[in-house]
Amino acid sequence: MAKSNPPFMSGVPELLLLRLLVNREMYGYELVRSIKEVTGEAISLGEGVIYPVLHSLERNGSLKARRKPVGGRTRVYYSLTKQGHGRLQDLQDDWRRIQGGIETALESPGHA
Amino acid sequence: MHEPDVHDLATRLVQSGIAARHAHRAANEIRDHYDDLVDAAVKDGAPRREARRQAARELGKIDDLVSAMSARRELKAWAYRYPRAALVVYPLACLAALPAAPVYAGIANAPLLARWGASLLAAALFTAGLLLVLQLSILFG
Repeated sequence: MAKSNPPFMSGVPELLLLRLLVNREMYGYELVRSIKEVTGEAISLGEGVIYPVLHSLERNGSLKARRKPVGGRTRVYYSLTKQGHGRLQDLQDDWRRIQGGIETALESPGHA
Repeated sequence: MHEPDVHDLATRLVQSGIAARHAHRAANEIRDHYDDLVDAAVKDGAPRREARRQAARELGKIDDLVSAMSARRELKAWAYRYPRAALVVYPLACLAALPAAPVYAGIANAPLLARWGASLLAAALFTAGLLLVLQLSILFG
């Protein structure tokens, strides 16, 4: 199985998936490859574990799924909804706030 | 892990409480993902047998996928999300709705019932007419 990510990565798959789907609709395999590519392989989601996240995002209205026949297979393509754009914005804000806090803590000489 | 068995995976997901819609779709997506991994490995020069093994390794254990899906309450069938409603409220609601079933059926099949009623009425009138003719022929014959 692909190497797993540490527990503090909770919420990151969701953020990455929403971010990648801003530009165009994609299917599961394509999304896993894109995550590896855009993060320089720093983040690697378990190949199969992406689907529960995608289905949850679809269930809460952030994504829309549609079947599309491609090369003899029927692929399920996911695209971002209006609600998904809002969710992405919230997650990005949260992430930047946390990132800023951690950077401040790491750079603070008194607590190194 | 061996080649993913779509039917087996879907069954296990449904057994763990996942809504059938999500279970079947996830199982098919996993199967397609596996095929994509095999194709990619073959394209990279791996023999097909090794490509299959590699794809199965990358895809991970089916148990992990079932656990990951089951951990998400929102993907569960409504009976698993609201067990009290499923076990108590739903059967009671069905019992309460039972007397309304014939009325509902009557409304739903109104044209058919009207045709039936008209036919029965016509048959009854015809029989009454025959009996009347017979009675009159006995009285005045």
